[in-house]
Amino acid sequence: MVASLLTARDLNKQFRSGNQPVSVFRNLSLQLDRGESLALVGRSGSGKSTLLNILCGLEKPDTGSVQVLDEVFEGGTDRQTEARWANLRRQQIGVVFQEANLMPALSLLDNVRLRARLAGQNEDDCRDWLERLGIGELAGRYPDQVSGGQRQRAALAMVFAMKPALILADEPTGSLDRHTAEDVTGQLFDLQARHGCGLILATHDAELATRCSHHLDLGHLPET
Amino acid sequence: MTVCSALLSHYRRHPLQLLALALMIVLATMLWTGVSHLTDHARASLAQSEQAIAGQQQLVREDGQAVSVQDFAYLRRQGLCVMPWLEVQRPPPEGRVIGVDPFASACFGSDAPGQARVDALNGEPFLDIAEAKAMVRQGSNGDLSLLVPVDVEADAVPADYRLKDFSMGPATGELGESFLLNLDALGVLVLLITALLVRSVYQLGLVQRRESFTLLRRFGVPATRVQVLLLIEMVALTSVWVIPGIWLGRLLAEILGGGFGQVLESLFDAPLYAVDGGGFVLPALVMVTVVLLACFADKRLLRRLPWLSGRPSVVWFGVPVLGLGLAMVAWPFTLGWLFVGIALVFVAVGLLTPRVLSYVAQWGAEGAGAITLWQRRELAVLFRRLALPVVALQFAVAMVLAIQALVTTFEDTFERWLGQRLEAEFYVEVPEQSAAVDGVRYLAGLSGVGDWHLVQRGKTHVVPEMAGDDAATSVEVDLFSISPIGPLVTGWTLLDAIPDAWEKLATGQGVMVNEQLARRQGYQPGETIGFTLGEQSLALPVVGVYADYGRPDGEILVAGQILPETFNTRFQSLSLNPGTLAMAEIEQGLAAVWNTDQLTVRDNGSIRSLASGVFDQTFLITRAITVLTLVLAGTSLLIMGWVFFTTRAWYYRLLFVWGLSPREVAGQLRWLAMFLTGAVAVAALPLGVWLTWALVSRINPLAFGWSLPMAVYPGFWLEMLVLCLVIGLAISVLMRRQLGAGVPAPAMANVAGGGER
Ligand SMILES: Nc1ncnc2c1ncn2[C@@H]1O[C@H](COP(=O)(O)OP(=O)(O)OP(=O)(O)O)[C@@H](O)[C@H]1O
Ligand SMILES: [Mg+2]
Repeated sequence: MVASLLTARDLNKQFRSGNQPVSVFRNLSLQLDRGESLALVGRSGSGKSTLLNILCGLEKPDTGSVQVLDEVFEGGTDRQTEARWANLRRQQIGVVFQEANLMPALSLLDNVRLRARLAGQNEDDCRDWLERLGIGELAGRYPDQVSGGQRQRAALAMVFAMKPALILADEPTGSLDRHTAEDVTGQLFDLQARHGCGLILATHDAELATRCSHHLDLGHLPET
Repeated sequence: MTVCSALLSHYRRHPLQLLALALMIVLATMLWTGVSHLTDHARASLAQSEQAIAGQQQLVREDGQAVSVQDFAYLRRQGLCVMPWLEVQRPPPEGRVIGVDPFASACFGSDAPGQARVDALNGEPFLDIAEAKAMVRQGSNGDLSLLVPVDVEADAVPADYRLKDFSMGPATGELGESFLLNLDALGVLVLLITALLVRSVYQLGLVQRRESFTLLRRFGVPATRVQVLLLIEMVALTSVWVIPGIWLGRLLAEILGGGFGQVLESLFDAPLYAVDGGGFVLPALVMVTVVLLACFADKRLLRRLPWLSGRPSVVWFGVPVLGLGLAMVAWPFTLGWLFVGIALVFVAVGLLTPRVLSYVAQWGAEGAGAITLWQRRELAVLFRRLALPVVALQFAVAMVLAIQALVTTFEDTFERWLGQRLEAEFYVEVPEQSAAVDGVRYLAGLSGVGDWHLVQRGKTHVVPEMAGDDAATSVEVDLFSISPIGPLVTGWTLLDAIPDAWEKLATGQGVMVNEQLARRQGYQPGETIGFTLGEQSLALPVVGVYADYGRPDGEILVAGQILPETFNTRFQSLSLNPGTLAMAEIEQGLAAVWNTDQLTVRDNGSIRSLASGVFDQTFLITRAITVLTLVLAGTSLLIMGWVFFTTRAWYYRLLFVWGLSPREVAGQLRWLAMFLTGAVAVAALPLGVWLTWALVSRINPLAFGWSLPMAVYPGFWLEMLVLCLVIGLAISVLMRRQLGAGVPAPAMANVAGGGER
């Protein structure tokens, strides 16, 4: 049997609000293969970001297991588990947040280089990535010298330069205007399809969600 | 909910932060009050002692007995204007107080010693003699003198009494002033550190409350209103916490003051009088002003300062200022000019250091790998953004280095000075009526006695130029004669000498002069000087210049054999090591040949250990204060560093998201923080060494006419470096905890603009 790209089984996550445990999701399972895309939708506070964080090891589920490529994680926060997650994030999982994806002290190009280098990729085609995303002439500028949309494009360039197997994007266009948002997501889907990696996209945008091959509605606010 | 309660609720939620702020204010106030209290106290004492001893004379008994109240009554009955002066030694921190009799001083007119204070009799340091007597009865040491006006002539004095100059000890000289200068500098530094410290905690509060402020603004509260409320909040906080700070500062001054008084008293012969404590108002006002300036001045003023905006113009401004300052210190005309030069150097260094460090951090990083490039760039940002605390720590370290070097040099000099004055184990005064030569003959015939020599002191006149033979140009200096010239003196440090100098001196073929005289008259070894010994005029070459360790008077040293019979010896003594004999035996022998039973013998060994004890105390005080200042400066960088790292927490977390393990991220943070503080220590080193040089080789000669040898202490440099690295380590540990505590929201960072760089 060919292992899927990502499998999550029976995930449970609770937070404490005061003394009350608040359950964000119960027995959640999902699966994603290469080339597939999954839209995470649901009201604000329904647990989209929490789920994405769990899927890349930044947060831990209370119970349940996550498998990425051939690495299986079943709880545990020991140093070795952390190192395995770190290794995956370094080479296989590209994460894009709504904003602040770039190091402020580095130019756009140096940011892409840094990300590529961490992933063990060649630094040579970093400029190409910026050009493909339409910001080649801004390569030498610093994050505070370009617009929010240009910063998000640079963030996508960083993710593609690392040649990941899986991209996790948490409202990557949440702070952009409609036109720019469409532009950026258009490029995201384009490149994802061309390189055949998996994509999980948390979004409030119904139209954007329809462009994904799969959907997961986390529903309403978590129950107490 | 009102705006006020919204602001106050912050501290309810962060009681620890309130505590930290309070602690900073209390500590800073304590330190500053303590230091300024000590210096004020000491300076006032010096001024008073100088004023009090200005040109007085006293009556003493011919038989050498101490004067008593009976003497006072007798002299008054004789119609003499006499005033009793009872000095009482009180335990620290009170110091010495003086009992005077306002009625008895009436005949002095307006010239009465301590007149201004006597009128008020406000108890400090002058009080009514009755009170002083009561203190003596309770067990304090008292010392009575009888003062007479300066115009009383010797023939008006009744038999059995004679006139004597009245002074409470040799003038303090500039050694005392020089010591106080150091403490003053420390006081200014402490104030600067205080400002930075309070500012850092305040900024921490602002960062944590950023979101509340945004909220308030959204609710329509004008920004100026929030500002005013914050201002009121700080004034209230400071006013409350300044009081215990001042109180603790006084306590600190009292604890250190005991030792300080002793130091001043023993070292510089400056009695430390009780001075009234000063009010709470001035320190409180100073502290509130400093706090307000630190927290709010930047709103208008600091924003214009180039080092905060980091424009390249800083370099064009800083470099010429630095050059000008260095030149002014290298070729100083006056003391004021010198101080301006030092201030300019500090301003320029303050402006340039962050930029230079920032530049050095990035230097050569372009060709390096992406991670190295990130490290270097991040470090450069840190240097620029933390310019204020970085410069403060640099100044603090430099100041501590300089003061440490100065104090250690001072101690070393003092040791050698003691060695010069107290070379022999015992010192025996030749009684006034006895002939020194009898003692000399006795010692010469004594077998088993160690090294010894006879010292004779008097006055002489030197004629600076051989050509100019008129008496007007002759200068009166001390004459110091020794016979025989032996191992007790031949070990002295000679600053400059011709070959076989001691031999030539011993055989009467030359004289030696002290550093002060050589400096003043420009004497060189080999040069012939003319001088008088009694009625005799002599011309002998200078064979050597000996170190005098700050002695302000000129002195020439000759072999005893060239002193003529007619020479007016003012004072004679024997310095001797008992060798294999018991000192008591020698004492008996000398008493017998001099036919006296009252021999004054001084045990130099015990004086030496007493003096060293006093110096240990100086050391302790300076150390305590400098270490406290350093700790404060370190804390300031620690807190501000932490504040800044907190605003960047998100970006450090990005490293974690990009696949660095928690240990690797912690390693990066440690590298950044330790490199930051380590570089500050390294940058402080040249400034500290330069400051030492300026103090030793520029200020001292200009202000006091003599110079200490300059010494450097690399061991101490290393200590400072380690201390700075520990501060860096502490920052990274705090930061690691912060990152471990949970996922920082990107909102914590100023993401809207792409982050600070
Ligand atoms: N560290 C935490 N402590 C307590 N509760 C938390 C924590 N993090 C998240 N939560 C809660 O978990 C729930 C899910 O949060 P999450 O950020 O995943 O929502 P989201 O779907 O991403 O919302 P949005 O669309 O607004 O980004 C929320 O109710 C939130 O209050
Ligand atoms: Mg979210």
